[in-house]
Amino acid sequence: MQQTSSNARGAATAGRTPGADSQRVIFSKALRQRARLRAVVNDSSLLAPPLVLVGLFVIVPIFVALYLSFTNWTGFTPPTPAGLSNYVRLSQDRDVQYSLQLTAIIAVVGTIVCNVLGLGVALLVNGNSKFNSLMRVLVFYPYVIGPIIIGFLWSSILGSNGAINALLHSWGGEGFPFFADPTWAAVSVIAVIIWSSFGVNVILYLAGLQTIPESLVEAALIDGASAWQTFWRVKLPVLAPTVTLNIVLPVIGLLRVYELILALTEGGPAGTTRTLVYNILNISFRNTQFGYGAAQSVVLMIVIIIITLLIIRLRRRSEEAVAA
Amino acid sequence: MMLSRTARVFALLLLGLVMAVPIYLLLSNAFKSQQDIVASPFGFPAQGFSLEYLVRALNSQEFNVVGAYAITVFFVLAVNALALLVTGPAAYVIARGTRRYHRVVMLVLLMGLFIPSQALIIPVIYVLKTLGLMGTIPGFLLFETTLIIPLSIFLYVAFIQSIPRELDEAARIDGATRLATFWLIIFPLMRPVVATAIILNGIAVWSDFVNPQIILGPGSGIYTVTTGVYAAISKYSTDFTLVYPNMLLAAAPVMVFYILMQRRIVGGLISGATKG
Repeated sequence: MQQTSSNARGAATAGRTPGADSQRVIFSKALRQRARLRAVVNDSSLLAPPLVLVGLFVIVPIFVALYLSFTNWTGFTPPTPAGLSNYVRLSQDRDVQYSLQLTAIIAVVGTIVCNVLGLGVALLVNGNSKFNSLMRVLVFYPYVIGPIIIGFLWSSILGSNGAINALLHSWGGEGFPFFADPTWAAVSVIAVIIWSSFGVNVILYLAGLQTIPESLVEAALIDGASAWQTFWRVKLPVLAPTVTLNIVLPVIGLLRVYELILALTEGGPAGTTRTLVYNILNISFRNTQFGYGAAQSVVLMIVIIIITLLIIRLRRRSEEAVAA
Repeated sequence: MMLSRTARVFALLLLGLVMAVPIYLLLSNAFKSQQDIVASPFGFPAQGFSLEYLVRALNSQEFNVVGAYAITVFFVLAVNALALLVTGPAAYVIARGTRRYHRVVMLVLLMGLFIPSQALIIPVIYVLKTLGLMGTIPGFLLFETTLIIPLSIFLYVAFIQSIPRELDEAARIDGATRLATFWLIIFPLMRPVVATAIILNGIAVWSDFVNPQIILGPGSGIYTVTTGVYAAISKYSTDFTLVYPNMLLAAAPVMVFYILMQRRIVGGLISGATKG
């Protein structure tokens, strides 16, 4: 007893009577336990508010989406059970399959082009000059204005009587079907999406470039590496974590594209520019089939979870390769 | 360098042009007549520039621009204040926490980063209806606050971890509670990161369209800048004297703010990304 108590209390207890000391130990243990409990309670009271909000508006809705997907909910009357009918319909719905394909194309093409442009422009405007900061402001402003206004702006530029077609007409030429032809509409939509979002990648890559130690690049150049070799062998490996962020963020962002398309084409012509999110909101609000919309939301969530895990897993390997 | 100087300058000028032309059209065509916009959208107008269309858009019966500004600014401030009250102390606990549950809580709070609000909105309508908050301003503010929790937590935790522990441990030994320690000792040091969070979250709330459109609904008569412009433009998309001035009115406040704060916005993003 004496042994443990002196271990526990240390020098402070030296010179006290053994009986009083062991009592003190028991007492202080209880005190410490109470203090620890109080710390946890204290912690929880500060952690609770954001957890309640996330619980109420993120975690509960995930389960509510699952529940609603097995019902016919019109949004007005209480949901009635519908079994698997929404999912059966989903598997046969051409519109949904088309929108899934389009969403996949937007995500893949968009992510690749945004990364190439983002890194390329970041390399060009890295450094502190007036011109460079002007360029940074120029590539990033679409993000600040937001997708709905950007969508209307580009629709008044590329639309059938928009600025470019007006110019073509005034030259005596024919108009160009930026949004009237299904294929060109998809191309135009993707181009506007890239135009409005690659600025974020530029900023992220600029941040990454700042983490590259100057000495590393100098050493490579002194050793006789060309600028090209320095880029591939020195700069890019250091950027590995930045690249991960630059893939994850656009993929998640591109899977949810909605406002731009609403403002540019309203999903047309003939529904050929409808993404998955566009379909979800369209079916829910125009057709008041919220149960079916919920089933599509579940699909979207699953797609996003799988893709995110996949990217993180793949990228972890290349990040570890750098660390090694 | 990898590219010759001329190639670099050419590439940057081309890029600058592609980025600048839409904003040039927005600025110039808001002051031109329909005839001039159609005849020469890029050129100077035969009838001259006029403030008439902008004034008409400002006084429009359909879209009360000033009212929409006021409501949107109120939403931006309220959501940011709520988010700071809710996430600040929690970020402090997480940043100073050593237990496993601290990390778990952090991951749960960051979950929203990966699940887009559009995938959640249908079940969220159900939750809001159950709570009796659908179509109400409190319901909208609570959901919007939830959406900016991840970024706030992410930025705050990283920043607080860079503040030396000795600072707040001294206060705690003197008997201050966690909450008091946070607001009195830590919060005053967080000014730069709070500014970054407020700016980025503010832009997100200002430009949000789907959530105010769906939760507040067109029937409620509560229009933000984005839902108001949508209501004003989508019906008359061929009348450019309505479209351009309305777009300009919607974009002008954020553009001015962006130009004034550009170092802070771009710099804040860069520092936020490096810390992550």
